[in-house]
Amino acid sequence: MRQAIQALGWATYIFWIILIFFTVTAVYSAFQLKLGFRQPEVSASDGTLRASFPFSIANGGLYDISNLNISTQVKDNLGSHISDSSTYVQLIPRGSNVSITHGMSINISQMTTENLSYLLFNDSDFDVSFALKLDYANAVPFRVSTNFTMPWGAPLSNLTIDSIAVSPYNTDFKATVSVSFENHSPFSLDGTMRLDLVNGTGGLLGSGTAIIPPHGGNIPLEIIVSDPVNIEEARLYFTTSVFSYGPVVISLV
Amino acid sequence: MLPRIVKASIKAILYFVFLYILPKFLLSQVSELAPELFALYGQYLNVFVGVVIFFVVASELTSGTIFQHAFNIGKAIILIIFFVLALNGGIVTFDLNLGEMGINIWADLRIYLAMLITIDLLGLAKSILQAINFLSEKAEQQLPTPKPTQ
Repeated sequence: MRQAIQALGWATYIFWIILIFFTVTAVYSAFQLKLGFRQPEVSASDGTLRASFPFSIANGGLYDISNLNISTQVKDNLGSHISDSSTYVQLIPRGSNVSITHGMSINISQMTTENLSYLLFNDSDFDVSFALKLDYANAVPFRVSTNFTMPWGAPLSNLTIDSIAVSPYNTDFKATVSVSFENHSPFSLDGTMRLDLVNGTGGLLGSGTAIIPPHGGNIPLEIIVSDPVNIEEARLYFTTSVFSYGPVVISLV
Repeated sequence: MLPRIVKASIKAILYFVFLYILPKFLLSQVSELAPELFALYGQYLNVFVGVVIFFVVASELTSGTIFQHAFNIGKAIILIIFFVLALNGGIVTFDLNLGEMGINIWADLRIYLAMLITIDLLGLAKSILQAINFLSEKAEQQLPTPKPTQ
């Protein structure tokens, strides 16, 4: 019995020493982790907004970091999903310095879907959920998460028909329409806009096409119509290298 | 009785220094990083030190009796319950506020908790065996001494 008691006593002391040693070295190693952040890079091309976040992790501690996973999820302020991205690093050994670039991308063609099309015309804030997961010392799973907002500028902000003037033109009439908008997005819009003038039953009265100014501005159109009295709606169709959308219906009565 | 009180006092002071003063000093060096976190675990440290010192003193004052082993068994059980509650079953989460940004931190310390519980179970087993050994020695002392037959 005494030998068993002594053995249990020694086992307890040894386990306590191991546990305290692990705790102290783990805390010490955690404070030897150095994070270095470089300037984020944002670019917009081919209809995709890309943000790259380069950073480095110097693991000066005594334990490896494994299964490092960085994920970001972008949603609009109504909770609709916009994009997901993740970066995975299998192992950051002790004593090593690893450079990582986490990329986020938002494809503007997604804004043409029904529940996100309002983002083409309205500035907003995106909700970005950021999560970093890793296994520390191959024994302790660890996760840091946060949320922040990212501003979004609409490419067709303040889209309005400023004026419409009708004047005689040969045997018909000429409707001079002035359309204006502001491009708050980082994209340059190169493409065309088609404007259809329709009556109350949706019948087409006249149509015109104009080139869209890349950074927004005023678009004058001259449209030949036969029956200007019954013009009730303007329907706009946008075709650009970044997105295609339409009709945007603007009432003229 | 006086030597027991002196021994209990010395043990209490030593435990207080190594379990409270030293960790508090070390924690104070790093507490600026997450004051809310270290404030919470500072309270847990106070409770832990209070429980350990109480049982160490009680065990020392009742040394040589069955109550010494009862206190050791009680200490092991209470520390198991304390560690499970303090570490929230091994899943620790807390929220930090860095300016306007809120950060949630989650850690799975179940392996660490299992190690703590294992150590306490070993201590519990040792205390139970010591109690059994004490009772059996007491019983042997009370047995009549057999005399050789002529």
